[in-house]
Amino acid sequence: MFDFFIHVASIACLYGVLALSLNLQAGFTGLVNFGLIALFGCGTYGAALASGMGWHPLAGLPAGLAMAALLALFYARLGRKLSSDYWGIATLSIAEILRISITNEQALTGGAQGISGLPLLFADLKPYDGVPRLALYALVLVLAWFICQRIVKSAFGLAMKLMREEPQLARSLGYDLDAIRRTVMLISGAIAAFAGFLYAHYLTFVGPDQLMSPETFLIWSMVIIGGIGNNWGVVAGAIVMQFAMAYVPFVKDALDLPTDFVAAARLVIVGGGLLAFLLWRPKGLFPEKVGGSRGR
Amino acid sequence: MAAKLLDIKGVSKSFGAHRVLDAVDFSIAPGEIVGLLGPNGSGKSTALNVISGFLPADGGSIRLADADITNASPQRATAHGLVRTFQLPSMPHKMTVREVLQAGASSKAGLGSIFSAFRFDEELETLLEAFRLTHVADLPAAALSGGQNKLLSVATALRSKPKLLCLDEPTAGVHPNLRADMVTILKRYRDAGVAIRVVEHDMLFIRDLCSRCVVLDRGEIIADCAPHELEDNPRVVEAYLGKAVEKGKTAL
Repeated sequence: MFDFFIHVASIACLYGVLALSLNLQAGFTGLVNFGLIALFGCGTYGAALASGMGWHPLAGLPAGLAMAALLALFYARLGRKLSSDYWGIATLSIAEILRISITNEQALTGGAQGISGLPLLFADLKPYDGVPRLALYALVLVLAWFICQRIVKSAFGLAMKLMREEPQLARSLGYDLDAIRRTVMLISGAIAAFAGFLYAHYLTFVGPDQLMSPETFLIWSMVIIGGIGNNWGVVAGAIVMQFAMAYVPFVKDALDLPTDFVAAARLVIVGGGLLAFLLWRPKGLFPEKVGGSRGR
Repeated sequence: MAAKLLDIKGVSKSFGAHRVLDAVDFSIAPGEIVGLLGPNGSGKSTALNVISGFLPADGGSIRLADADITNASPQRATAHGLVRTFQLPSMPHKMTVREVLQAGASSKAGLGSIFSAFRFDEELETLLEAFRLTHVADLPAAALSGGQNKLLSVATALRSKPKLLCLDEPTAGVHPNLRADMVTILKRYRDAGVAIRVVEHDMLFIRDLCSRCVVLDRGEIIADCAPHELEDNPRVVEAYLGKAVEKGKTAL
């Protein structure tokens, strides 16, 4: 039971990092990205590439970050032409195109089978390897949170919020919205890819099924439920959602329900949670604070 | 005549078959305040949108401080010193008045700004005070009344240190006492070298503020004169001021 708790907490930390990445885009800059999972995938496949090519595992990190940067720039470039809602649809489509391409490509990505046998972090510390791993993921989460907080409370953070709420006013004051979008996509893309790299070396397996679009919506549910536009909130949302999802099988066992209850219940938690919060508490558990910039 | 800050030549704009601006020419010198008048639909706001890069021109040229800004993006026009406000300004819900005002001075802030805390400096406090917004400075900007909204948009535009400030009906919904204050503040900026181009219907405000007026009617300039000369111009009387002038009832 303790090992399971460590496992769930580890995954929750990585999802927390992803929620922070999405929050930077959607929460603070108004970039409604439904293709976040592809940026995460750049990190996982960066790790897979290093493993497949026989490189040092750490070489997968710059590879993943470089792929994420390219994809982030492509997403940002699309945003020049498309308004917010159409951009959201375009990002979802691109993420799906990439996933399907990976599924049908064999040489580099291993196709639908994916790539397994990636080295596990701290594997030589078994059976106590889970704790240092969790500590590392928690440290990454804290670092990501710190970076995000610094950004949103700075003068650049003001620019992001102005772009989110009043793009016309921002343009009239001389803000370069394309540059803001590009910068935000690059930073949040790097954060998501970093989470992906760690995730790949945690599961020791990378496959296209990890990049299904429901994963993006799971991250969205964490952001909405936790509190969009609040970095504390989205981390709390990630932890709450991850633990809720992980403990569904225990409820199934306790109530003696059939096995397919687990998958159905998880869908209900994500979809129902999203719907309930959007209807009754759209600002989430921890609403965004007005006036949080670092002046004076 | 002093060197031209803004020089517009032959600017035209049509929406389909409807010609909104017809080969419009005019210029503004540094430190000059020019009123742009005309009946509704005469092309005042379209002229402002074209000059500030929010709408492309169909023809003609626009030069600002010796740079060609014809069909430039709003960002480029602003980089050359042109800042505008909107007729119906809309303010953010999740930013305070103070933050919006600060944003006026932060358009060049890149990611490097995360390493140093910005300052709500004395100029910001002075602007809040001058526009009587100090007591609402920490409220969400969207919570302001319509009049306060206008004041904040003018203050924010001033905070971005423009060479040419284009105001679109800045006094609509603003209390008369504050209009007088706004005249004083804008003249102070004019004295510091800022040129101002103001679209407005309030003739008292125009008379107090502007040294020159340009009157548009159906996309054409029908007058370019001092405010007190307007009522002597029969075309202006007919198109804009109305018969009240003839009967001596005008505020001019």
